[in-house]
Amino acid sequence: MSTRKPFTKDIILLENVEAVVSNIIEQMREDVLQRFKRNGAVVGISGGIDSSVCFALAARAFGPEKVLGIMLPEKDSSPDSEMLARELAAKFGVKAIKEEITGALSGFGCYERRDEAVKSVFPEYDPKNWKMKIGVRQSGLFSNLPPVFYLTIIDPEGNVKDKILPAREYLQIVAASNFKQRTRMSMLYYHAETLHYAVIGTPNKHEQEQGFFVKYGDGAGDVMPIGNLYKTQVYQLAEYMGVPKGIIERTPTTDTYSAEQTQEEFFYQLPFNLMDRFWYGFENGYPPAEVAAVMGETAERVESLFRNFERKRTTTEYLRMPPIRNYYRG
Amino acid sequence: MAIDTATTKEKIRNYIVQSSHADADKIKDESMIFREGFFDSMGFIMLITFLEEEFGIKTADSDLIEENFESINAISEFIQRKSQN
Repeated sequence: MSTRKPFTKDIILLENVEAVVSNIIEQMREDVLQRFKRNGAVVGISGGIDSSVCFALAARAFGPEKVLGIMLPEKDSSPDSEMLARELAAKFGVKAIKEEITGALSGFGCYERRDEAVKSVFPEYDPKNWKMKIGVRQSGLFSNLPPVFYLTIIDPEGNVKDKILPAREYLQIVAASNFKQRTRMSMLYYHAETLHYAVIGTPNKHEQEQGFFVKYGDGAGDVMPIGNLYKTQVYQLAEYMGVPKGIIERTPTTDTYSAEQTQEEFFYQLPFNLMDRFWYGFENGYPPAEVAAVMGETAERVESLFRNFERKRTTTEYLRMPPIRNYYRG
Repeated sequence: MAIDTATTKEKIRNYIVQSSHADADKIKDESMIFREGFFDSMGFIMLITFLEEEFGIKTADSDLIEENFESINAISEFIQRKSQN
């Protein structure tokens, strides 16, 4: 007889947040101190909810004096990110430093390569004072077609234009932009190695399982304390640990492109509170009809959604895999 | 100029087989190429680019529906319609 609980909207909520936090910090101590023999942790702090919760967990696990917070802004970063990250560090009494990475990114040709691709789609685009972003259209998640990406440019007067991104330009913009996450991770490891600390990876469960991270960029790290938590649960931890309200109330953004862009419009196509519940139903094998009834959807649309989830999980496996090395089995 | 349907389908099939690294025998004219997992999001973007370059069509937002792309048959009909416009 199945003992599975009936699907409800609250099924995802952690019942005992205190116990979950205690277990995570105990595991972090065991992994970082005992197993890896590192003396503390560095955390890249962006002013977003995920890195803030990881930072708070690290401060609890290792003590504020054994944690270093690093802000890693570049010229497209929102000024709010640094302000919120500083507030976070002050709240938990942890030292925070700023490493501006614009110069490193210019050295890689990050902006130049990205802007070259943008200009080939929109020749009128002027990177000096226009803004750009790429994203998907929200309506696609219930379709059997995968999403396509759109390029949006905004001129200094606020006029917006968008176009479907051709494959070559899409790949070039993404590859160039990924220098940002990989440069940040290089800097985190620099500081971790100078202090003999570990690097805390900050992806949550959705980022991990749906592949919303840059391989060897923000998808790297030595431990990922919230890697198995839904966003709703990350917010529960944030409230419990006293993460500043400004961070909790901030809309999750990618903070990657010069134009403002939410994570929902870039990737997820659903608000996180809905995404969490649908994904829970999907990964725990609930019938689409049962999930649909609770979520106010049709069974057919939820079936499409689950097919999309399965495709996303399968097609992003490459991102989560370490290099395959068992070619010789002598 | 009318495009021969058989030629269109053959070009589409060859592209799908080559780009999805799938077994050619598994891709029929009526195979649901997205539902059956031959293509992911990147594959779809590349397919659109291929169709635009190969057949000289322009894909609009309103064209991005399953009925136009779900199979070789559907894509071929989509190309025919766009070519006539």
